[in-house]
Amino acid sequence: MARNLGFLVLFLSLSLCEAAIFRPITDSHRSAALEIFAPVDRSYISLEETYEALRTFQVLGIKKAADINKETCSIVVEKLGPSSSSPKDLFYALRVNSILKCNINVDNFEVITSKLQAVVKDANSLIDLYYSIGSLALIKDEDAGSNVHLGDADGIFHSIKALSQSDGRWRYSSSGAESSTFAAGLALEALAGVVLLASSEVDQSMIGTVKNDIMKLFDSLERYNDGAFYFDEKLEHQGPLSATASVVRGVTAFAAVTSGSLNLPGDKIVGLANFFLGIGVPGTAKDLFDQIDSLACLENNRFFIPLIFSLPASVHSLTTRDRLKVKVNTVLGSNSPPLTVKLVKAFSSGSKETPIVENKELKFDPESSIHSLDILPKTVDVGKYIFVFEVVLHDPEHKKIYATEGQYQVPMFFTGVIKINSAEIVVLDSDLGSIETKQKLDLSGETDVSLSANHLQKLRLSFLLTTPLGHVFKPHQVVLKLRHETKVEHIFVVGNSGKQFEIVLDFLSLVEKFYYLSGRYDIQLTVGDAAMENSFLKALGHVELDLPEPPEKATRPPPQRVDPCSRYGSKQEITHIFRAPEKHPPKELAFTFLGLTVLPFIGFLIGLLCLRVNLKNFPTSAVSSTFAVLFHVGITSVLLLYLLFWLKLDLFTTLKALGFLGAFLLFVGHRTLSHLASASAKLKSS
Amino acid sequence: MAKFLFFITFVSLLPLFGSSFSSENPTDRRILVLLDDFAIKSSHSIFFKTLQTRGFELDFKLADDPKLTLQRYGQYLYDGLIIFSPTIERFGGSLDLAAVLDFVDSGHDLIVAADASASDLIRDIATECGVEFDEDPTAVVIDHTSYAVSETEGDHTLIAGDDFIQSDVILGRKIIETPVLFQGVGHTLNPANNLVLKVLSASPSAYSANPKSKLSTPPSLTGSTISLVSVVQARNNARVLISGSLSLFSNRFLRSGVQKAGSSIKFEKSGNELFVTELSKWIFHERGHLKAVNVRHHKVGESDEPAIYRINDDLEYSVEVYEWSGSSWEPYTADDVQVQFYMMSPYVLKTLSTDGKGRYFTTFKVPDVYGVFQFKVEYQRLGYTSLSLSKQIPVRPFKHNEYERFITTAFPYYGASFSTMAGFFIFTMVYLYNK
Repeated sequence: MARNLGFLVLFLSLSLCEAAIFRPITDSHRSAALEIFAPVDRSYISLEETYEALRTFQVLGIKKAADINKETCSIVVEKLGPSSSSPKDLFYALRVNSILKCNINVDNFEVITSKLQAVVKDANSLIDLYYSIGSLALIKDEDAGSNVHLGDADGIFHSIKALSQSDGRWRYSSSGAESSTFAAGLALEALAGVVLLASSEVDQSMIGTVKNDIMKLFDSLERYNDGAFYFDEKLEHQGPLSATASVVRGVTAFAAVTSGSLNLPGDKIVGLANFFLGIGVPGTAKDLFDQIDSLACLENNRFFIPLIFSLPASVHSLTTRDRLKVKVNTVLGSNSPPLTVKLVKAFSSGSKETPIVENKELKFDPESSIHSLDILPKTVDVGKYIFVFEVVLHDPEHKKIYATEGQYQVPMFFTGVIKINSAEIVVLDSDLGSIETKQKLDLSGETDVSLSANHLQKLRLSFLLTTPLGHVFKPHQVVLKLRHETKVEHIFVVGNSGKQFEIVLDFLSLVEKFYYLSGRYDIQLTVGDAAMENSFLKALGHVELDLPEPPEKATRPPPQRVDPCSRYGSKQEITHIFRAPEKHPPKELAFTFLGLTVLPFIGFLIGLLCLRVNLKNFPTSAVSSTFAVLFHVGITSVLLLYLLFWLKLDLFTTLKALGFLGAFLLFVGHRTLSHLASASAKLKSS
Repeated sequence: MAKFLFFITFVSLLPLFGSSFSSENPTDRRILVLLDDFAIKSSHSIFFKTLQTRGFELDFKLADDPKLTLQRYGQYLYDGLIIFSPTIERFGGSLDLAAVLDFVDSGHDLIVAADASASDLIRDIATECGVEFDEDPTAVVIDHTSYAVSETEGDHTLIAGDDFIQSDVILGRKIIETPVLFQGVGHTLNPANNLVLKVLSASPSAYSANPKSKLSTPPSLTGSTISLVSVVQARNNARVLISGSLSLFSNRFLRSGVQKAGSSIKFEKSGNELFVTELSKWIFHERGHLKAVNVRHHKVGESDEPAIYRINDDLEYSVEVYEWSGSSWEPYTADDVQVQFYMMSPYVLKTLSTDGKGRYFTTFKVPDVYGVFQFKVEYQRLGYTSLSLSKQIPVRPFKHNEYERFITTAFPYYGASFSTMAGFFIFTMVYLYNK
């Protein structure tokens, strides 16, 4: 159910542009066909596709370049040659040949015929039967001299008929359980082939039952509510388009070979045509072929030829006074038989009871084959109308050949320029209703009012809208918008009282709605309607509102959406601010003080010189003098170690070295000092 | 037995053969298309064909197909989902709202097309993406000043939209000059959601209402706050497209000519084809997908990456950024890629210079603050997938022997102590040996 409903909605949305008006095939189909069926590398992928392309071009009347035909013909000749090909290949090769008329060797047909006849005899699947019977029928067409026929036509007819279901659908084979509408089309085409090839007349009662099946099949037609009929397909790989196309092909073929009428309802045939036309221009090759081929079947058949009623335009401007034009064509766009289009009645979409026009015949122009209504009644004003047309065929015999829908209800829009008068904007005092400020507005030009009001006052905007005929016009969209500086918007629908459009904004009752936001509000007025040619959106100016302070519990304005683009973009660069280096005194000062620190040492040396110091006490014996030298070398190295400690060594190396030096110093120091002590003791005792 | 073993091996290797979505090859490959009816397949075939010619495998299913499923054995069967079934009330099979959201949450892409009278399910999906359709099921977008002029269509619901988002990456480099035809329902964006973007906005005079009934209450959506087509790029870089019109993608609109009301130019072909093609390229990650590789940093003058930096070191940082072009990774060029040296807050934020071949680099001095820092690249640009790289690196203070050794100011002290030492030496000599 949901599925059907969905399809319905989809279709409605697709056909809204047409508003239930379907148009015959146009040039857009031709250009689309050339685009879609463009051969890749000067040939198509398969013969089936080649046939689809050629058939589409043939129906649309497109002449193709001969070089492709030449190459295709060579493939066809090869397929129809002595090497064995499958029935499907033969079938499409023969079909392509029937369009291209290649120079093929007719002698080989006999072999193919006997092979195909064998296939037909043994076949039990519908597809095999379809291809082989189709091929045989095509051979018969091609080679009139040959004597292609089916001996046991009745038997084959039976075997195909045995696959049919009670609801008019067919199964693909006796073992397959699923019945398919697509298969029904194939079966009908195959049956038509059997009738054509039968050496003796096929049993009429059996043809009667098939006709009955067709009727049943047509009972299962589904309908969109815009008047299009289609066959739904339960199997998944086939869409409704291919199923419907298959049935149309089959029924056309079957009707062509049997005598007597099929008694198909004309409105359903028109509905089928509407379905194919409603698709518009399909985007894939298969769909386009299905559409064009079945429309070609509908264009030329033995049951009913649908006539398509179309309007070049359903939107008319009263300012230019266009003529109302109607076209009636066959599906492929060729001219209709002589007929008259009558305007039964036309009424405003609002009031069904009072038609503005009744029973008027449209004038036919044979040159452009357009039916047109010369003079629209003066009473037609802007707005939406429903026009009801009727198509009457001149020749009563044609009613058996052509199918029309009977009455056509068409929505029409008449647009015009709406006059805007006496527009004014007023600030009123609430209590007395006295006018505080009043400003005239020119809504057709630029306006820039600047007003100010407080919460005790009211704002009134009023204007008049009149149609070209002087009636009051009520557009669909009359909206006043107030926008605060903070982008909070308030929207009001401007109502109309009798003639005048008027809105009164009583700010006292609106303070809460305005979130107590005082400040500048921009005023914007939008007036628009489908029938109004001068719909507008205008900034009128602004009003300064002075509203009371919000109470504590007042609702806050809703958050406004921030522009998400502000999230993007590069950020400002950040550079780290390093700690400032410590301040040092100037170098000169340091060097001066360095010099000063050396001065006491120099003073010390001078003092020593003044004291006339000597080193006469230095030990004289070899051993003790060695120890004394070593002692002083040790002291020097400790002092040098301190210097090295400053220059490069770290604490640990220094302490290690100092340890060794210290032990050494202790030893040599002790020897030296004890020697000196004993020497001085000797001196004292002596 | 051998055959069986072979089969098992083959099946277990199967996932390796699939050319599906991965970080190395971010374009989607397998897409599930959910339809209300197979008629949509033919009525929207041009759009589907452009996808197929770009190498996508489309799997068409009815939305109420009872066998519908997105994943099997915990593996997603598809990389993208197109929901062209505006009226579906309940999906078939195991698919439901939560499954669709999980699909997006795991980084897969989604296209949803609604229509007037879209079902609650479709509305719910949109709401979860930050988009709210007009609640009135009969409302459609009407615009009396920027509608598409048509001889058969009179109620101005066929909108010619030309207010596009300004982004080369979302809509392609080629500027769409032709208006895009739109017919359907409008939506607004949730103000709290900053991931959702309006791609096609309505004109200021548009409103959302039922064209057949009189307007008595103010329309809930008006003006350019109405979004016609929106996109979302989630934080996991999944991309979602939400359109209020299914017909936007239809062959009819793609082929149709367009003339905007009030303009005398009549275009032979509407902008829809370019619009939907370019937008689908973005949605399915054929554009705007970035990757960053080879993040490197080292001291200036060295080439090895240290384990730790000292304060005040000069370092060089470089990263390579590439953009996926649909088939290969191309160097990405921009002048706004920035790196942060970050600990609690950025200490250094610097724009990287580029060599035009995808390499971005800069040098800066490590701040004189020690601790555990991060190199951070947070690159978020409109339409591009976001890059978020961070690499931790500690910074230490000076060692005791790394301070300055010979401070001129201290020379008097050194001078004093060394002269005292020299004095001491001479004094010892004099003291011991003077006679």
